[in-house]
Amino acid sequence: MTLEFTEAEIRAILPSAILFLTGLVQLLTDACLGARDPEGDRGQKSHLVLTGAAGSVLAFIALGALTDPSAPLFSGALTGDLLGRFAAGIIIVTTLLTGLGAGGYLGAIGRNRGEFHALLSFGAGAMVLLAQSANLVAMFVAVETLSLALYVLAGYVRDWRESSEGAFKYFVMGAFSSGFLLLGMAFLYGGSGGGIDLAALGGHGDEPLIAVGAVLVLIGLGFKVGAVPFHSWVPDVYQGTPMLAAGWMAVAVKVCCFVALIRIILATGVNTVVASLVEALAVVTILLGNLAALNQTNLKRMLAYSGIAHTGYLMVPLVLVLASHGDGAALSGSLFYLATYLVTTLAAFTALSTLQQGDRDCDTIDSIRGLGRKHPVVALVITLSMVSLAGIPLTAGFMGKFTIFSDAVAGGKWHLALIGVIGSMISVYYYLRPIVAMYFHEALEETEKAEAAWGLHLAMLLLSVGILYLGLFPESIVSLSRGAVPLLAGH
Amino acid sequence: MIGLPILTLIVFTPLLGALLLAFVNRKNESVMRQGALVVSLVTLLLSLVMLVAFEPQNPGYQFEENSSWSETLGIRYHLGLDGISVLLVLLTTFSMPLVLLSTWRAVTDRVKEYQIALLVLQAGMLGAFVALDLILFYLFWEAMLIPMYFIVGIWGGKQRIKAAWTFFIYTMVGSLLMFVAILYIRSHTGTFDLPEVLRQLRSDPIDEGIQRWLFAAFALSFAIKVPIFPLHSWLPLAHVQAPTAGSVVLAGVLLKMGTYGFIRFGIPLFPGAAVWATPFICWLAVIGIIYGALLAWRQSDIKKLVAYSSVSHLGYVVLGIFLFRTSGESSQLISEGMIGAIIQMVNHGLSTGMLFLLIGIIYERRHTREIDNFGGIAKVMPVYSTFFIIATLSSIGLPGLNGFVGEFLILKGSFTANPLFGALAATGVILGAVYMLMLCRRFLFGPVIHQENAQLPDVSTREVIYLVPLVVMMVWIGLFSKSFTDLISPTVHHYLQNLL
Repeated sequence: MTLEFTEAEIRAILPSAILFLTGLVQLLTDACLGARDPEGDRGQKSHLVLTGAAGSVLAFIALGALTDPSAPLFSGALTGDLLGRFAAGIIIVTTLLTGLGAGGYLGAIGRNRGEFHALLSFGAGAMVLLAQSANLVAMFVAVETLSLALYVLAGYVRDWRESSEGAFKYFVMGAFSSGFLLLGMAFLYGGSGGGIDLAALGGHGDEPLIAVGAVLVLIGLGFKVGAVPFHSWVPDVYQGTPMLAAGWMAVAVKVCCFVALIRIILATGVNTVVASLVEALAVVTILLGNLAALNQTNLKRMLAYSGIAHTGYLMVPLVLVLASHGDGAALSGSLFYLATYLVTTLAAFTALSTLQQGDRDCDTIDSIRGLGRKHPVVALVITLSMVSLAGIPLTAGFMGKFTIFSDAVAGGKWHLALIGVIGSMISVYYYLRPIVAMYFHEALEETEKAEAAWGLHLAMLLLSVGILYLGLFPESIVSLSRGAVPLLAGH
Repeated sequence: MIGLPILTLIVFTPLLGALLLAFVNRKNESVMRQGALVVSLVTLLLSLVMLVAFEPQNPGYQFEENSSWSETLGIRYHLGLDGISVLLVLLTTFSMPLVLLSTWRAVTDRVKEYQIALLVLQAGMLGAFVALDLILFYLFWEAMLIPMYFIVGIWGGKQRIKAAWTFFIYTMVGSLLMFVAILYIRSHTGTFDLPEVLRQLRSDPIDEGIQRWLFAAFALSFAIKVPIFPLHSWLPLAHVQAPTAGSVVLAGVLLKMGTYGFIRFGIPLFPGAAVWATPFICWLAVIGIIYGALLAWRQSDIKKLVAYSSVSHLGYVVLGIFLFRTSGESSQLISEGMIGAIIQMVNHGLSTGMLFLLIGIIYERRHTREIDNFGGIAKVMPVYSTFFIIATLSSIGLPGLNGFVGEFLILKGSFTANPLFGALAATGVILGAVYMLMLCRRFLFGPVIHQENAQLPDVSTREVIYLVPLVVMMVWIGLFSKSFTDLISPTVHHYLQNLL
């Protein structure tokens, strides 16, 4: 049997192929040149950064080359639809910005080794594949591949105690959730009479089996996106993960797993049990995420819980779609929200990555006290991201919440908007705490700033511009997200 | 009409100024101060140009700018000005140069951030007064919050952090509920554009029961800002802790945002619910008038005293707004109350603003605000004391000064609409005279008890420069009140006729 690919198939696989290739190049370059680097792990390794950036940019351009979204590719394993492209775009931008900062950040904590850069590229490649997956097998393979990169990144700094603990916990929980996911997929396979293509799941087959399968998949992917009650690993893992990698995890994993979740849930058809389960999960996730964030003194943990809360907001459009019997229009709210979440959350993590205490991350509220005076620019970016996370107007975060809540009210689910708003009220409290610490208090601890890290500063600048741009001129991305939805609803 | 987008210019000049100042080296403090002052003067000039072009007889929106901002989200960039907002815009642009001058010396820490925060705050306030799209209004409304939060939290007094927290959380809780209500209006009418929403609601009103909930959400947000009793507890804290400029802006303009919100949005969007809630809100306003006055009477800190007097004074404004029709079967519309309320918003901004400026002056010299630490100031600082007495007389509504006009119109309207409220509000006027005159007696007159006060320098030229314009305005409004009410009344008459 010979392997022959159509042009459309090559175009579809190109973005992730470029990313995987970039990872390989980075790995090999580092193996050849790394030993000769006079600065060792303290250098910026700009060649790795630039290779990664070039790879991401190329992959992003390759996204534009995807054609004919409706045709099945690789016997239905992948799709080139706009939903996948939108999500892949977010993942690639996240990776680009994280990769830009990685050299300076890792140099500042004295751990700049080639594998970090390579793992970022490998992980991103798998994530893009997941976003484009159109059958169960491709999905599972992609989930496992990206998880592998994440496990290693979570435990990247071996001598931090939290890092080993977090990585171990992540690995155990991740394996556990993959079990659920696989079991769910098995039920779907059985229920639909032996179909692995998502397109074949809906409409016919054994309803109860499909419903059980959908619920199990919901649990499995719920773990990955950090929905309550499957969220307990998130704060521990973030705490142990290097700051910059935590930001990448927070955004990119959520994007691709959420898209996979959307695809499977919608493909299984609208089921009242699943619909009410998703609604309940959304409500609980919003409230619990925000409440648990309230008394965190560690910024990574605070951002972890805030990320959980944001997962809850993301699920609201899914609830609307299920309630409106598969009219996917509301999903654009989720997609736009993901874009706003990218700039906002990544800005917070990137800005925090510029600060160190010795070789450690600056991750407690006390450690950023008095920052407004010492490092006004970093403090300003953190403030901007906190304001955006809280959903205060003129920032991306507001526009994201605005689309979701207004869709919820328009879709008759005004109580979800109300719960979202209550969540936002709670969140204001903990998002203000870093601001209070930075501007209203005097410095308490010694923190240094990675002044030489050009990539971090560039990423920080781009992300701040992104927050304001999406907050002031949301039109372009909103219409892009609207365009990404209808094809999905065509099932 | 002038060809320029004058409202955009007025709103964005301070913002542009703030942006430019961001690029000035922070060591250049005098450039920073002068730059901010120039920007605020340019804004004032622009608003005066607008006033010249303003047509008082035209009851509709003027200088309208209406373009799409985000087509898919349905947000429009719709600005407009009418008799309700024209004086408030002028009040904002007029007070900002004075505010900047007042803290020329007092603020020495982080001067750059301070000037930028004030200018951004001004842009937010101006935007909120001219926005005619619900979301646009909400954006400006919320955008004011952040700079004010920093002004209180960074440059405030000992309890500044607690004050900033309380201020922020209070306001945010209110406005988020309003946000959901705005979204509901959109789902009912399909637009955020205020004139369009009002047109649609006239033909297809929202069900009365739902209207009440929506009105409650709006009213809560506005009532916190005013503040209406019993939501006032953030105010004395924020006022006392804020630096002088913060207090002046807060009392002078920010509080009016709440009463303005009632007139512009709360009542016309939900007329049925507003009429239903009128007795309730009027009682709260009257309680606020008397309770605020009694609390002010008991204060030993001058700034706190003036802060509580604000609660009392704003009570009149709310009363004036809501008594827009007589009770009973044959309800008639009354415009005096609302006209008086709008004038009173301006007056309160001038008189209370001036009082806070004067308190700032004495605080800079003595670093205390306890009334007992003073006495006999009139002997030491005669010019200062003259200003203080003028501000006091304006605040208690002496005929011939501005305060009288507003209070008189509000009381006249109240007595026509509901004599009981009129009588109770009049009691507040008496109480107001009592506590303010008592303050003057203890603060300014009598022998100089404390040695520290014997050598206090009188007001400097800079201080006179920013106090005199306020006095001029007070006398001007007091003597030529008709030229001011003429700006307002056509719009208010038109507004009330369209209401029910």
